[in-house]
Amino acid sequence: MYEHLMENIGGPVAFALEFGDIVNYFSPYTLTLFILAFAFTVLAVVSRPERQIDIAFGGDAYTAKVITLQEMRFRRFMAIACGLASMGAMVSGDIFNFTLFTSMVGITNVGIVAAVRNRHVLNAAYEYGIVAMAATLPLFGGAAIILATTGTLSIWELSSGTWTVPAVAKGLLGLGVIGEGMAPFYAAKAEMFRAPGAPYVIMCSLSSLLIFLRVIEIIITI
Amino acid sequence: MIGYLVSATFTGLLMLGIHRKVIARIQKRPGPPIWQEILHTLKFSFKSTWVPATASRTLFIAVVLIGIGIWCAALFVVTEGGSVLILFGIYMLHKIVEHGYGLSSGSPYGKFGGVRSVISATSEIPLFVTIAAIYLFTHSLIISDIVAYQAVHGPLLLSVPPAAVAMYLVLLSKMPYGPFSIVESKELVSGYKTEHFGVWRAGLEVCNGLKTYVLLYAAVLIFIGQFPIWAMLALMLALLVSLSFVCALSPMLSPYDSVTVQTLATAFMIVYIIALVVMA
Repeated sequence: MYEHLMENIGGPVAFALEFGDIVNYFSPYTLTLFILAFAFTVLAVVSRPERQIDIAFGGDAYTAKVITLQEMRFRRFMAIACGLASMGAMVSGDIFNFTLFTSMVGITNVGIVAAVRNRHVLNAAYEYGIVAMAATLPLFGGAAIILATTGTLSIWELSSGTWTVPAVAKGLLGLGVIGEGMAPFYAAKAEMFRAPGAPYVIMCSLSSLLIFLRVIEIIITI
Repeated sequence: MIGYLVSATFTGLLMLGIHRKVIARIQKRPGPPIWQEILHTLKFSFKSTWVPATASRTLFIAVVLIGIGIWCAALFVVTEGGSVLILFGIYMLHKIVEHGYGLSSGSPYGKFGGVRSVISATSEIPLFVTIAAIYLFTHSLIISDIVAYQAVHGPLLLSVPPAAVAMYLVLLSKMPYGPFSIVESKELVSGYKTEHFGVWRAGLEVCNGLKTYVLLYAAVLIFIGQFPIWAMLALMLALLVSLSFVCALSPMLSPYDSVTVQTLATAFMIVYIIALVVMA
């Protein structure tokens, strides 16, 4: 058993970077998540999109979807922004920064598929955007309740055991992250994956998963 | 460590072979020899290899390496007694890798396999409820602490049986030919694996072998405890055979039914956790 609660959750902290009471830390858990976010962001930078083949049922015909250079540039930019937001959320030691990065993930996820000229994909992106936007209310509400009851948003401070974080605040924080694209709210997101451009589309599912994994650590820690 | 990694891979592949054999015998078929999955891996290693013209070349190759990399890391975490949260994070990230396998080729079969993999993400939620239940008892998610807790208080299997059932469901959702194997359903040819052949397919088989070994080993370690390696292997085998029975006797569910069953299991586990917290 370790002294700090977070070390009993994600392993011993290997490196911590202090900004006043805000301490960004790398435990084996957050480091693993950070490396994966980094690896897929690099892949989004260096990979060319695939040419997605669609079969016309009832015959031998098929079509290939080709992404134009202009569309590819915009979507790659949004995928990189999504990767950076995910990396920030993985190592942030502050709940407010975490919620900001989470909101940015939601916005960039819509951006990754917004340039695709496909009615189904755009409808799904619109629906996902509404859910993600609504989810920011419990997300920031949870952070606000934590600040109001404890006077700090530092995960390091909150994990010291001197504060009692209300269960409702933890619940709201979790609900907000789930609304950004986890089950059962990912139904719209699954439709977004019809879009071509695998290196960028994969960032949509990866980023949601990573922030969900991080919020589990935060909720248990604080 | 490299020796252990190689032996874990081959043991995992052998277990997948035993899984196929048990299913076949229950269904009154002769079935393939138990070393069939090992032969598959070796065969694919020496077959001609290329990348489909429509594929996103870098991603197509990189996801195979990432898949092997994350399960090597998972094996390291389990054997070194690291955080169980890392292990389950890797389990969840495997879905992203499956998604990458499917989408990167440009094939419609691969794409549908990948999308189904994302749809079946509900199988991950019982996992985290399981973790919450473990934490309520052990107050730590470090595997070595969980093992030490069981040495004093007895197996978690007896203390939190619903969590063990949820973990069993998670294992079942990852077993091939099972009721939740919608990502490899035959109407999708081989699902997300369809376009990966030659060395890339051998890489996927290595990944599958490691995944099977790590998940079975972790389930025994977390819910029963640490034993000598021969006893661990015997318990893993017993667990595997019980999973094979379920797979042999259950039809594959449709994608939405699969999600519904897993969601119901999650709801049940959440109620159980709330009851535990209230009683505590």
